[in-house]
Amino acid sequence: MSEQYPTLAQCALVAAAFKILLFPAYKSTDFEVHRNWLAITNSLPLSQWYYEKTSEWTLDYPPFFAYFEWILSHIARLVDTAMVRIHNLDYDSWQTVYFQRTSVIVTEVMLVYALQLFMETSPLQSRRAAHVVALSIILSPGLLIIDHIHFQYNGFMYGILVWSLVLARCKTTLLSSGLIFAALLCFKHIYLYLAPAYFVFLLSTYCLSAKSIFRPRIFNCIKLGGCITGIFGAAFGPFVFTEQMPQMLSRLFPFSRGLCHAYWAPNVWAMYSFTDRVLIHRLTLKEGALSSVTRGLVGDTAFAVLPEITPRTCFFLTLFFQILPLLKLFSKPTWENFIGAVTLCGYASFLFGWHVHEKAILLVIIPFSLVALRDRRHFGAFKPLAVAGHVSLFPLLFTPAEFPIKTIYTIFWLVLFLMIFERMAPASNKPRFFLLDRFSTLYIAVSIPLIVYTSLLHQIVFGKRYEFLPLMFTSSYAAIGVFGSWVGYMVVYFTA
Amino acid sequence: MHGDYEAQRHWMEITTRLPISQWYFHDLEWWGLDYPPLTAYHSWVLGKIGTLINPDWFALFSSRGSQDPNLKIFMRATVIVSEYLIYVPAAVVFARRYGRLTGVSIWTATVGLVAILMQPGTILIDHVHFQYNTVMLGLVMACMSSLLAERYKWSAVFFVGALMFKQMALYYAFSIFAYLLGRCTFPKVNFSRLFGIALVTAITYGVLVLPLVAGTIYDTYRGVGSRSDLDGPPPPLPILAWLTDYIDTGTFYYPVVEMVVQVLHRVFPFSRGLFEDKVANFWCALNVVLKIKNYPTELLQKAALVATLLAIVPPNIIIFFRPRKATMPLAFAATAWGFFLFSWQVHEKSVLLPLMPMTLLLAGKQGLNRDIRSWVGFANILGAWTMFPLLKRVDLRIPYAVLTLLWSYLLGLPPTSWSVYTDEGFGGWSQVGTATLHTLFYAAMAAWHVAEAYVAPPLHKSDLWTVANVGVGFAGFGLCYLWCLWRLLKDSDLLPSYATKTKTQ
Repeated sequence: MSEQYPTLAQCALVAAAFKILLFPAYKSTDFEVHRNWLAITNSLPLSQWYYEKTSEWTLDYPPFFAYFEWILSHIARLVDTAMVRIHNLDYDSWQTVYFQRTSVIVTEVMLVYALQLFMETSPLQSRRAAHVVALSIILSPGLLIIDHIHFQYNGFMYGILVWSLVLARCKTTLLSSGLIFAALLCFKHIYLYLAPAYFVFLLSTYCLSAKSIFRPRIFNCIKLGGCITGIFGAAFGPFVFTEQMPQMLSRLFPFSRGLCHAYWAPNVWAMYSFTDRVLIHRLTLKEGALSSVTRGLVGDTAFAVLPEITPRTCFFLTLFFQILPLLKLFSKPTWENFIGAVTLCGYASFLFGWHVHEKAILLVIIPFSLVALRDRRHFGAFKPLAVAGHVSLFPLLFTPAEFPIKTIYTIFWLVLFLMIFERMAPASNKPRFFLLDRFSTLYIAVSIPLIVYTSLLHQIVFGKRYEFLPLMFTSSYAAIGVFGSWVGYMVVYFTA
Repeated sequence: MHGDYEAQRHWMEITTRLPISQWYFHDLEWWGLDYPPLTAYHSWVLGKIGTLINPDWFALFSSRGSQDPNLKIFMRATVIVSEYLIYVPAAVVFARRYGRLTGVSIWTATVGLVAILMQPGTILIDHVHFQYNTVMLGLVMACMSSLLAERYKWSAVFFVGALMFKQMALYYAFSIFAYLLGRCTFPKVNFSRLFGIALVTAITYGVLVLPLVAGTIYDTYRGVGSRSDLDGPPPPLPILAWLTDYIDTGTFYYPVVEMVVQVLHRVFPFSRGLFEDKVANFWCALNVVLKIKNYPTELLQKAALVATLLAIVPPNIIIFFRPRKATMPLAFAATAWGFFLFSWQVHEKSVLLPLMPMTLLLAGKQGLNRDIRSWVGFANILGAWTMFPLLKRVDLRIPYAVLTLLWSYLLGLPPTSWSVYTDEGFGGWSQVGTATLHTLFYAAMAAWHVAEAYVAPPLHKSDLWTVANVGVGFAGFGLCYLWCLWRLLKDSDLLPSYATKTKTQ
């Protein structure tokens, strides 16, 4: 089969050129966070990494990420020694910016490799679709906004995830798939949300016999268990040895934070808070006290009307909605079901999780992209997610210079890829849900006035007042989209 | 910081806040207006729109040197919008027409079009630095595509528009004149066409100057002088001072005369030197050998005039006798190269003018084949390279590197790939010669970048790297001029040996 143009590598190269041009763009505190980690890992012995707190941005990722920063810091020191000094808070010389931004672009090669593998392992009849999907991920506005402007290493992390997902396709590489995922967990613990799907999938395909679930394959179990122990040992061993474990765990899982993050991530709790605000408004109007309407949103989880939400509630809701798809995965452990289950685990944790960050939407979008082109039903559920997920990232960038970049790039990407997807998605052999199609068309149409309002009209009408309104509309709008696409995909998943 | 940025912003300020008669007189020390009227009108429109959004952006005096980030977005957006209103449609139409004319498939013409729109030099100067060259270049492109469509009167309108936007469009004036004259002369003399074109040209000029003239008369009638800071009798004219011997300074039309003279004076700064900055043309290269400053200005002016004429006469004679559509961009490019290399007061950014018609060749017959692609690529990369000192001064090294490398990567050109020279097999010794020559230049450019970045020039020659840039640039541009001229000769079937060879094949 002849190669398709433009190839993934060509697109990645052109995209990299664009990203380099964005070097001087806005960067969030995450930039300083990562610089600080470079400094910590470079100038302190391992025994103090998780105790150090000169900066408020303490190290709160698992050990592999710390090792990764430690390796980077050796190069960083050569580029600019001042970058790796712990007391040099908020240091951003141009060398630092160039170095850190370049490291994001370079480590994204992991994602390119994983997507290339994804294309090559796709069955012949869907290879064109796989090609388009790979291009859509590598050019994703989500990664552009979060990684290359806002600053993080998601391209690298999701590269590892996609790599692991692709390896799960083939019986012979199941073990490495699981191990790579274990390693990924030691990089960034947010992927714990997807772990149940991995657990069930590996259990039923690797550890249990295909004939009967009551016949475990002992040798496979030992291999898997041993290797995973080895990986976790390599990651956490040194910290167990230096007696940092309790300290590290308190850093990794800070339960003291609130239900909603600074900007509301578009999940169920955003809709819940929105309802609460509307109810307050109604009640206070009657009582004539308007002042409480504009209560700040940041870290504010006190509900006035509706009952409080506890972390326990979140946890059980998340678990419940993760178990549903896992039951199907356990009975029919195909690769497609596995990806579906991973996606639905991502959905459940995003929608019902405690203190979810809007960046976590990639946890849903990227696995979903891999199967979005299976048929029109899948694509129908994917559409509102693609719109809502990316629009919900807009508030991350609020500086005037980045406004045209994020808007134009995202709209261009959405138009281009949704159009191509539309054309490529094969018809489904099951009837479609026309209500859902209507809903998604209407939903996408609403995004246009929403973007116009939040970016232009609001300023003209209200000026600096009610700054929370656009944020609230954006997240409520996106929450409806994410929730709707979740319901849609649940239906598709269980009826496929 | 960005000189050009502040200049453009300032013009929006003076055109929206001052009476029209003062536009060309207001505080010339602070980025006084020095482009023709259409630029002023353009600034006025943009300034009016900007004032609607935020009146402080263009407040008189108080807005000077404003660094408001929102203003920056607005200004950048105006460049993009102006480009999309004029340059992009003109390029699309031209590529379509030129491709169809020369029998090129739509796909190839589109690839050529993308290459034209992504020209690194234009993006670097307009969108990264800050200018509105694409408006002028777009109007010239529109003029050229009207020539292809044989709508000669429209081409005159567009060209006058370009000229009234930036006087630099004069680089093309000779070839447009020669081409139109040729079209009116061969195969048989067509006086009515010639007269029509002349009339339309005159009318367009009149229409474009009219607001300025009418505004000045109205301001005089209102009692608003062109210079609010001066009292008493009008000061002497800056140039053409003998005019006052014939015109009474008290008449009602004297302010108009004064205004026109002032515009000419501002737009054509003959009083300045032969060149301002280091620019890769003949005079600057010559300056290395003999110090030009020691010669009298009149002599230099005459020398520049003669040299320019010598350079531009051959392509214009060819295009006059053989006014072919397919070769027209070559004649434009050769003439513009002639101006760039030899004329008076050339700026580094003027290299965009010869590059534009030369790059248009990509959309034509065999545009993406070895010969044209390698030379167009060479000229563009070299052009961007000669602008590097300018870009470096405002810290634009990274965009320079990214945009040039990206363009050459997408077109499969050096320095990212040498396949353009080898793709089509062995093409004779001329091919080997071209490849060697280009490679030498690319190597020189690369070596220059290394040297400039890591080696400090000797103390008594602190501008060594700039001078080296000028020397290499001049040599390369000279070759580009010769190539355009040679291609023009060849494609006009004026090379006897070549003509017979193709017939026998």
